Formats: sequence, C-alpha cells, structure tokens
Amino acid sequence: MRKLRDFSLVHFSVDHPRWVVAVTLLVTLLALSAFPKVRTDTNPKNMLPADSAVRVSNDAVEKTFGLYEDMIVVGIKNEAGVLNKTTLEKIKRINDGILKVPGVAARDVAGFSTIDNVTVDKGTLQVGPLMPEAPGDTRALEGLSKQLFENPMFVGRIISGDGKTAAIYVPLEKGANGKSIADKIREIVKTEGGPENYYVAGDPVARDTFGAEMFKLMAIFAPMAGLLMFAARYLMFGDLFLSAALMMDAMIATIWSMGLLIALGYPIHIMSSMAPVFLMAIATDSIHIFNEFYFRYREEKDKKTAIIKTMEAVGRPVRYTALATAAGFSVLLFMDIVPVKIFGGLVAFGTVLLRVLSFSFIPAMFTFVGEKSIEKASRGEDAQSSRISQFLAHLARLGAHKPQVVVLIGLALFVVAVYGTTRIKVNNNMVEWFTKSSEVRTADRVMNEALGGTSLGYLVVGSTGDEDEFIKSPQALRYIEGLQRSLEKLPTVGKTTSVVDYVKRIGRVLHKDDPAYDKVPESKELAGQYLFLFAMSAKPSDLDNVVDPYFKKANIWIQLKTWDAGAMHGVIEAAQNYQRDNPFPVEIKPAGIAYFNLVWNNAVLWDMIKGFLLALVVIFAILSVNFRSVKWAMVGYIPLLFTVILIYGAVGFAGKDFDMPISVLSCLSLGMAVDFAIHFINRFRLRLAEGRGAAAPESIEEALVWTAARPGKGVLRNAILFAAAFSVMLFAPLTPYITVGAFIVCMMLLSAVFCIIYIPALIVLFRKQLFAA
Amino acid sequence: MTRLILQMMIAAALLAPASAAPATVQPMDAAGIVSKMQQAFFYPGESFRARIKMTLKDVSGGERFRELTMLRVNMPGGDQKYFMYFHAPGDVRRMAFLIYKYAAKESDRWLFIPALSLVQRIAAKDSQSSFVGSDFSYEDVSGRNIEADTHKLLREEELGGRPCYVVESMPKAAAAYKRKVSWIDKTTFLPLREEYYDVQNQLFREFSAEEIKEIDGVPTALKRSMKNVKSGHQTVVEFSDTKYRLGLKPEDFSERALRNPPGSWIK
Repeated sequence: MRKLRDFSLVHFSVDHPRWVVAVTLLVTLLALSAFPKVRTDTNPKNMLPADSAVRVSNDAVEKTFGLYEDMIVVGIKNEAGVLNKTTLEKIKRINDGILKVPGVAARDVAGFSTIDNVTVDKGTLQVGPLMPEAPGDTRALEGLSKQLFENPMFVGRIISGDGKTAAIYVPLEKGANGKSIADKIREIVKTEGGPENYYVAGDPVARDTFGAEMFKLMAIFAPMAGLLMFAARYLMFGDLFLSAALMMDAMIATIWSMGLLIALGYPIHIMSSMAPVFLMAIATDSIHIFNEFYFRYREEKDKKTAIIKTMEAVGRPVRYTALATAAGFSVLLFMDIVPVKIFGGLVAFGTVLLRVLSFSFIPAMFTFVGEKSIEKASRGEDAQSSRISQFLAHLARLGAHKPQVVVLIGLALFVVAVYGTTRIKVNNNMVEWFTKSSEVRTADRVMNEALGGTSLGYLVVGSTGDEDEFIKSPQALRYIEGLQRSLEKLPTVGKTTSVVDYVKRIGRVLHKDDPAYDKVPESKELAGQYLFLFAMSAKPSDLDNVVDPYFKKANIWIQLKTWDAGAMHGVIEAAQNYQRDNPFPVEIKPAGIAYFNLVWNNAVLWDMIKGFLLALVVIFAILSVNFRSVKWAMVGYIPLLFTVILIYGAVGFAGKDFDMPISVLSCLSLGMAVDFAIHFINRFRLRLAEGRGAAAPESIEEALVWTAARPGKGVLRNAILFAAAFSVMLFAPLTPYITVGAFIVCMMLLSAVFCIIYIPALIVLFRKQLFAA
Repeated sequence: MTRLILQMMIAAALLAPASAAPATVQPMDAAGIVSKMQQAFFYPGESFRARIKMTLKDVSGGERFRELTMLRVNMPGGDQKYFMYFHAPGDVRRMAFLIYKYAAKESDRWLFIPALSLVQRIAAKDSQSSFVGSDFSYEDVSGRNIEADTHKLLREEELGGRPCYVVESMPKAAAAYKRKVSWIDKTTFLPLREEYYDVQNQLFREFSAEEIKEIDGVPTALKRSMKNVKSGHQTVVEFSDTKYRLGLKPEDFSERALRNPPGSWIK
C-alpha cells in the first residue's frame, strides 16, 4: 500500500515536473522569510530548563548573596611591573571607562580604584577605595604597594604575586551580552596602548564570543559545505544541472527545517547550528538515486523508464535509510536537555523532508536534463570498466574469499578499540572550544597563570539547624577557614575568599596592623562587632556577597584556574572529605557558574549516551524489519558497531576529552553508517532474487562482488561527499567544529570501507545460517 | 566657606516668610530651594532625638533590623554633632557612634567597640559610602555640601497632591551619582522624593519620604525609605520618640559619652 503511494508520488513528479519544482521553490521562499528573525542562544544555562534543580538552587544562592551570574575579568600586564605612575593612571582610566559601559554593574566593579580597602593610618581606621587616584609621588606609590601586598584579599585577586599583572573584575547586569561588553572594554584598553598588554577573560566572554562565531560559521560553513559537495558531484557525474539539483535538494531541506525552527520561535543553540551541515551530509544519500539512474539509463536508453526503474530499485533502501537516520535522531526527542531535543527533532524532520524531496523534486529535476548530457555522464558508469568499481570489487572479494582472516583482524582491532574506550576522559571546557592562539584562550591562560583564576565556583556553608547568627561563632569561622585551606591545596584552586578573610583583616587592622591578630576572634560578639564596623563603612555588597542577612550561611568564593568541568568536581570531593574528617553541624552546597558547568556538562553527556543506546536498539529494530530477519540485521549491524567502537577507541587513545560535541557524534555516526549497510544488503538480496530465475544463477560471492562494484560505488560516493561536506569544518576557528569535522571525515570513509569488506565476509561466513530458509 | 553658609542662612531666613505663605511663592533659584530643603531636613530645632528602627530588605524578602537612638545638636556656623547608640542586633548592642560634622571640612567619626572596649577613630574618606550597611549613605543621613553640586530648577509639579519644586543637582566632581532629581515640597521644604542616576544615566537609587508629621511644631518625615533599584535592596527608616529642642549640650558629645552614654539619652 505504502509502496503504491510512493510510486504515485514519483509518477506524479515525472508527469508534472514544473508543478513540483514551482511548489518546492515557493515553500522555500516562505521558509527563507523566517530567517531574519533568527536568535542564537549560547548560554549554557539554557541547556537545562529554568526549573531544573541546579538552576533553581543557583538562582537562590545568587539572590541570597547578591551575586552576579556573569563576571568579566580584565587583566593589565606590564613586564616591568604595574606599580608605576603611568600604568596606574592607565588602570584608573580603564576602570573609569568600564564603569560607563552599559550592561556593566558599575556599583560592584572591583579594581584598584573601586575595591574597598580597610587600613589604619595614624590611629584612624580607613575604609574606602584602595586607589581613588593614581599615586602622584614615590611615597604614595610605596604606600599603595604595601597595602596591596600586605592584604591577602588583594594578592592573587587584583594583583599578581609578582606585581606584573593587575585585574579588574567586571560583573554584568542580567541579560547583558558578554561579547559586546568585552568588545567595548577592548576599545577602551586600545586607546591606552603599550607597553602594557591587556586581556579580557571570563565565562561570558567565551560564551558570547562563541555565540557570535557560531552564527558566522552557520552562515559561511553550511553553504561552503554545499558548494564543496557540489564540486565533488560535478567531478563524479560531469553534469552541472544534476549536481545543482542534488545540492538544491540539500539546501531546500535545510532551509525548510531551519525556517520552521526559527518561525516557531526557537533560538539556535550550538547543536542546532550544526544541523545544516548534518542535513547536507544526510542529503548525500540521494546519490544512490543518481548512481542507479545512470546505470539504468545505460541499460534502458529511455529517460522516463530509467527514472521509474531507478526509484523501484532504490526506493526501498532509500526509504529505510531515511527511516533509520530519522529514528536515530528522533530518540533525542526523549532526552532531558532542551537543545539536544531540538537538535534531534530538527535533524529528524530534515531527514524526512529530504526523502520526500528524493521522491518528488529529484525525479522532477531529472526530466529537465537533456538526453545527451545523461548519455555523456552515464558513459563512465560501467561496473566493468570503472576504476572505482574495480577497486570496490577487490575489497568485496577480499571479504568474500578470506572471511576468517578478515574477521579475525577485525576482532583484534575491536579488542584494542574497546581498551581505548576505557581510557576516555569525560570533560568539557568551554574556553578550550576556542583554538589555542585565539584571543579568548590566550587571555584566559595569562590570567590564570598570574592570578587566582577566572572560573568562579561557590561553596555555601550553612547551619543545619538554620540557626541565626551561626556563622559569627568562632567555631563556624574556624571551620570555614580550615575548609578554605584544604581547598587551596588542590592544584586547580587558585584562591578562596570568605567572610573569615574580612573578619581577620579587621581584627588585624584594629590592633595596629599587628599580624598576630590576623586570626579568627575569640568570641561571637567580637566577630559581630568587627563585621558591623566593616559594614558601617564598606559597600554593602562586600559583606552580602559572603554571608546571608541572618548569618546562617556563608559563601566561600573559589577561583579556579581552569574551566574544566572536572575542577569543580574536585572541589566538591575535597569539601566532602573535609566534612567527613571534621564533624560539624553544617551542610555544604556547591553553586556558581563552575558548578553549573559541571552539572549541565554531565547532563548533556549522559543524555547523549542514553540517546545513543536507545538509537542502537531502535536501529537494530529497523534493520530487522527492513530485512525481515534478525540474522540479516546482525550482518548489517556488526560493521556499524565496529566502526563506532573503533572511533571511540581512537578518541580514548588520542587523549581527546569526551565532551559535548563528541557525544553528539555518537548518534550521528549510527544514523549515517547504517545507511551503507541498508543499501548494501538490500541491493545484494535484490540481486540474488533477480538472478534466481536465470538459467545459471550467480554464486553468492559473485553477487557480492557485483553489489560492491555497483551499489557499492554509490556507498563510496556517498561517503566521499559526506566527508567533503564535513571537511570544511576542519577550517573552523572553534575546536568543536574541527573535532566534529575530523571525526565525520574519518568515520564515513571507515564505515564505507568496513561495510564493503565486512558485510561480504560475514555473509560468506554465516551463509548456512543466513540462507537456511 | 563659613561666610557662604552664613550668607545662605541669611538668605534662608529672608525667604522664610515666603514659605509661610505658599500661595504667594516667588520664583526661587534652585540653590535657594536646596538650601531651604537642607535647613528643613537636616537642621530643624537646636537639638533633636529619635529612636530609629532601620529595616534592611533584600531581594528575596529577607529583613535585617538595626535599632538605634540618634541625638543631634547644632553648632554655630552650620556644624553639627551626632551621637548614635545601637540597641540591636544583639551582638552590636552598646556600640556607639559619634560624628562631628563640619560645614567646611570632612567630618570626624569615632566608634566604640564594646567587645574590645576600644574607641576607634574612623576616617570619613567617602561620605557616599553606606551608613551602617544600609542603602543610605552618610550624606543621606547628615546632608551634602550644597556647593558640591550645581542645581537647576527643572519644573514645578504636584507629587501625591503636594506642590513641589523639581530640582536637578549635578555633582561638580566625580561622585556616586551623575545627577539627582529631587521633589521638594513647597510648603515644608522637605524632600518627598529623590532619584539618583548613575554614570550611565540610569536610575539606581530612589528616596521617598512617607508619613510626614509635625513634631514640636516641626514637619518631620517619620518614615523614609531608600531603594537601590539595581540590586532591589531597600532600607526603611522609622522614627519614634521624636523630640526637638531638648537642650542638649554640645560638650556632652564626647568620648566619655561613647563609652558610657547618659541614661537619659538612650532610654
């Protein structure tokens, strides 16, 4: 019944090609009209829904302690030291300039000229900006230097230990764009000039720069991939018109699905930004139609008959490959992470569209091609004479005639690959999504070398009994102090700051700057009065950031030297160990952007792995249905699984972190590689069935060689086109795209070759079981 | 400077009848209006006492309280002395704060820390910094030098049914705000509302005077609030046991009082 319906679609398209093309183009224009409304969303927060546990608790912590979601860190580095009049004047001017940038939370910018400093001078306690004006003389300069280096709250935060780097911490208002603020800050520092170097770092910079780059990539790389595939096709078939038709097929499906996504009001995330390239690649599956068409045309010498016969032959595998690919991606719809769902839905939808176009638009386009150019193109399509076909036939003979050897080698490789997969390290680091020499990554590296770290996490230490004024007790303060010291032993932790640091500082200052009083006070009252004294003159936010209004909880700021998601994991573990070794009625909860990165990173990864496992099951089911046999499904499935394991084994050996972009690949690899198996086995069985009625039926080996030489050529062409499309991503300035590009290129070529070697090998090896009936 | 203040005070005195008869208000210059406002808000009566309850409200609905007694005595030439004694929160009870405010120079401040039995002098480097951790600054509590800003009368309009002058004040030197717009009641000369704009010319702080009552014949804002629009943090101040002209002696505002305040002051 279904076959009939599809059939009529092909017939209709061949009979009314102009109609089909006109309607297709009209819908494309309609979809294009949605494009100007496009929005991107690179905020990792939105990877998880707003009501997810980590977002709710992070928001609560931000609210309780008046914290900012986002912070940019500006570094000023002078190899000769920053503590000189000229550099300090520059720092002052930069600080003042930053305060005026819209989106900057000016009241809480922390740099030399805005940070609060507590000192005693001639018996008078001073709380005020550390450097209201750049020092005019040597004495003032020495005074500033003393204040900076004697205050542990400044060293490693606003000044590096070697005095060469100064920092300004710039909190952003909610919803401000980190990249545009970073750009404005870069303009400000540009006017100051050398010999100082300036660095702009921090999560919002990386995130929003990534967003801007992503947008560019989408606009440049998808069409470039299309163009490359176009060129590759032209080389294969030598017909401009048909090559264009194939490219249009991919473009149209991409435009339709992206247009629909935008029209529905969804923003583009990093994953969905890769969808156009994915669709371009999936569209290559229609190469089988072209491949077969030229062979058929040589045999039939009539265009219309050739089209219809082609669709009869490849219709079933093309439909099933589409189904398998769409299924592979649509399992992602059942995941928890919103962008993963959108990505899965988008690609699944696009895949279905592509197939509809394969049965309508492409046959319609065939009718416009002149017989002469088909004649010319199909001349090379002779399975006997074509060099590619001969090469493929060789590969298949290798599998068919030496199945044991081939399978044993495969098994050995498999064992090595499985070992490789055990070495895979799960991690995600957004800053490392930029190439090593990029401005973002350089800034981050320099700042992390000089200062306490640009990645910020929090540990909230709270009274389990919800006791007011709890934190002011000497026991609680000492507990927090001990926790800080044990955290600082971790190599990834650069600096920690808490209410204890404020209390100790004031204690020392009130005792004539005597270092002996740089300690936790003996009584709750004293701690309370110190803090009150501090709050009397400092910015209210200073204390609010580290304690809640009732002193039930304290917030420890942890500056991490790396954006590795694993760093925060280490902090949490260290805190748990400390808690175990030092029993005290408190609970410790992690928060902050570093913690969030850890959570969403894990969530995305596990979602992807879950999706992958589900896709494995679904695809096996589809293969079983398609081949009407579990055994045949196994034959198609094994080379597929083999390819995937081999690739992840390579990931493990290469020492590449298993991060979000790589996890996306797992689903893709399944959805794509299965196509080859479906085409190969379908066509092989069709060939056998066709030959059965003949006087001298072909042997299984002969049929396999034929399949490798003819539809196999389609498989290889498909793989090459696919690889070509993704190879453009190798030139992207962002590492996830490079990774994805490199992997797809390897995977496609590998799985095409494996399909052609291992399917024949398995069929020959298990011929008894397979042909039992 | 002192001369200038005197001049202003004379000007204020001359203008006083005008305020008694609001119907015949002459067009006034902006500086004159601000000067009258300062007299009405920071200087009324030769001395003053109130029990003050401060409520510090954060965004998530949390509230912190401060309770203190404030005394003020006026000195010749526009100088003033303030004494503040804290009743609550518990751990700061008996902390006391003494401010000598000078019209012509930066004020002197001392704090008594009972747990150390120490009187600590505190520099008044930044009079725009927070007053005891609230959204009010020291300036908001004791006034800002009128000469520090240029004033401009923007318009006259009603606010909550009361005719007001709307005055814009712009600091001459860098300050926490770029400009301030005040609604000054034409009758009482109390500021009913103030809006502070930051360097980006965005509203970031809002003052409002609520519940104005006559105490000992002096119109007094018994409830006032300052809201930080950006952070959502807000401080509400409520006066009780308010009294003017208590006959306080300036010499009693001393270190001794800091350590051991007279019982009649802090009852």
